[in-house]
Amino acid sequence: MIRLNEYKEPQHEIASVRFSNPSKLYLPLSQATGKPSLPIVSKGAVVEEAQIIAQNDGLISAYLHAPKKGKILDIGTWFHPVLKRSPAISLECLKEEKTYTENIKVDGLGKGELLEIIKKAGIVGLGGAAFPTHVKLNPPKRIDTLIINGCECEPYLAADYRLMVENLEEILKGIEIICKILAPKTVYIVLEDNKPRAYEGVQRILETRKLRIPSCELVILKTAYPQGGEKQLTFSVTGKKIPSGKLPFEVGVLVQNVATCFAIYEAVYLDKPLIERLVTFAGDALASPKNIWIKIGTTLRELFENKILVFKTEPDKIICGGPMMGIALDGLDYPVLKGTGGFLFLTKHSLLGEEGPCIRCGACVRECPVSLMPCLIDLASRKNLWDETKRYGSSDCIECGVCGYVCPTNRRLVQSIKRAKLEKVK
Amino acid sequence: MKNLTVSFSPHLHAKESLRRIMWLVVLSLLPAALASVFIFGLRALWVIVLGIISAVIAEAALQILTKRKLSVSDGSALLTGLLLSFNLPPSVPWWLVVVGSFFAVAVGKQIFGGLGQNIFNPALVGRAFLMASWPKYMTVFSQPVGFRQWMSFGEGGWLDAITAATPLALLKEGKPVAHLSYLDLFLGRHGGCIGEVCIAALLLGALFLLLRGYISWHIPVSYIATVGVFAYIFGAKTLFSGDWLFHILSGGLILGAFFMATDYVTSPLTRKGQIIFGIGCGIITAVIRLWGGYPEGVSYAILIMNGATPIIDRYTKNRIFGT
Repeated sequence: MIRLNEYKEPQHEIASVRFSNPSKLYLPLSQATGKPSLPIVSKGAVVEEAQIIAQNDGLISAYLHAPKKGKILDIGTWFHPVLKRSPAISLECLKEEKTYTENIKVDGLGKGELLEIIKKAGIVGLGGAAFPTHVKLNPPKRIDTLIINGCECEPYLAADYRLMVENLEEILKGIEIICKILAPKTVYIVLEDNKPRAYEGVQRILETRKLRIPSCELVILKTAYPQGGEKQLTFSVTGKKIPSGKLPFEVGVLVQNVATCFAIYEAVYLDKPLIERLVTFAGDALASPKNIWIKIGTTLRELFENKILVFKTEPDKIICGGPMMGIALDGLDYPVLKGTGGFLFLTKHSLLGEEGPCIRCGACVRECPVSLMPCLIDLASRKNLWDETKRYGSSDCIECGVCGYVCPTNRRLVQSIKRAKLEKVK
Repeated sequence: MKNLTVSFSPHLHAKESLRRIMWLVVLSLLPAALASVFIFGLRALWVIVLGIISAVIAEAALQILTKRKLSVSDGSALLTGLLLSFNLPPSVPWWLVVVGSFFAVAVGKQIFGGLGQNIFNPALVGRAFLMASWPKYMTVFSQPVGFRQWMSFGEGGWLDAITAATPLALLKEGKPVAHLSYLDLFLGRHGGCIGEVCIAALLLGALFLLLRGYISWHIPVSYIATVGVFAYIFGAKTLFSGDWLFHILSGGLILGAFFMATDYVTSPLTRKGQIIFGIGCGIITAVIRLWGGYPEGVSYAILIMNGATPIIDRYTKNRIFGT
């Protein structure tokens, strides 16, 4: 793991604002790992805020709700950060807003009921992978250790941090719910040492009152990238290595992101499905970075048209996600998805220099967090030697981007390894 | 909006580049270059400059001829020329430097497809070629001229300097070496190749590279230690009484271990592999020095181990996380 220049300032210390009046929303049916949701509304229908507009298709899939009251404009195709174009529901929004109040009857709910609430609220992992949470919280093996991930190790991004500073009580309530479902022996709330305000807040609460959580411990890790990855985090906290190709539950560990805990709180206490999330908008092309509570489905264009965001200079690159793993976009029509933690608007410095030959310096080999030899996979991938890329373990690559970051000759290592991974799937 | 660039992640990059690495390695060799001029006079400087210029011209000419992208500004050809000249006696004729540089760049590097593709260290390929073709120029070493005379080119031309056998040659021929103190060896007050004699200056440059992380200790330490151990065990008539320090401080071991064996392109990728590589270099060097026909074996040792690098890489792959 490596120490990156974090570029977290100033967005780390900028309080969140809310943008709740988009004119239109575009809701891709693929928002989660697994199958796209199935629409259950038709064109022209008027839907209420928080009404289900698409439902699960099979086990690994997620419900989708209307983030605002409005009229279904179309069920067609729209821009998607990952899939480029994908089926989506478009919604013309009305001004009215629903208010949510805290429901105190939570105590009586059992494991099954809680899982059903989480499922019906369309919650997915908000750390980026967007795996349906109701599936993750119902693993086939017993969970001893719950790790709450507050690392947010991608540079620039500050949404999780702001959430921990501003909504810590709610996050802890979310953690209590998860504990009720999983009954783990130990809970670790894990942050990196570049977030003192957040971990001091957790420390204060843990010292002053008893949570309805078994043994709960605050773990402060030395800041490193990609420590927020499940395998890296599990190893950093428990010393357990998750076997290649396996998920954390295999070693009795479950990792949840802080924003997902908050979403669980909202679903259970407020009866509010996942229709809104905190997103960081940053980068040197913006006049000022912001952390915005934003309706799922809001496009970037809408934010600029409403002057919520203003360009200082024209960007050379727009990225959905962080700079290490994010996806470069070709315009402003992309909507916020459930799993989107941030959008970056960057100038020239984000453009990679010309690619040179591999000089076998070994930097990628030394820094790879899963101990691969990226430069060798790259060479094999360029020659379409798929047996060889497999032998070198390309499928274990987590695409964290560290190899490309350290390469002195700007080789497109992640791209090349990704190609090998996709080739194997074919 | 202007055109947006859509490229694969990552979108951040460390401020490290090939050019920077190459120029810093060149910088790290400067103390040794200065020391060589101080020790052998301006003719050392002349050989170094000629070596660099001809290597750079050779690289540019070959890239133009084969219609490849010109890449002389990355500093790698310059480094090859510099290292080759470091491996030549100060008294070599000028054309030998030119031929050696050309061979190093052409056969050592470009023939394989340029930087990163070559199997053998280009500078050592050049040296081995010269050694095989013109041994009489490659084994005549001039006496250090010392400080008072350092401006003189030698009045009668290139080959007039007083010749002096290298410490290792004396040892090989069974001649006395008692007049050479460790300090003489450390400071380079003896005959030898241009860049190899002043251990103090070489270590200064090596320390810089180690501290900046451009090389690691694995190859140099395992290499030098292996030579030391062999020299101690087998270096004298009775076992376990060899003068190991003499062996470490003599010849091209320090230059080779820190600056040639650590060449990224031709050495193993993993730390484990690098230690095996270093030990291999050490064994071959010691065998040549103690029992072989040549007084010195560093360049051949490194070349042979360069050839073994792919197989070392194959058997020292990292263990993938979670396997």
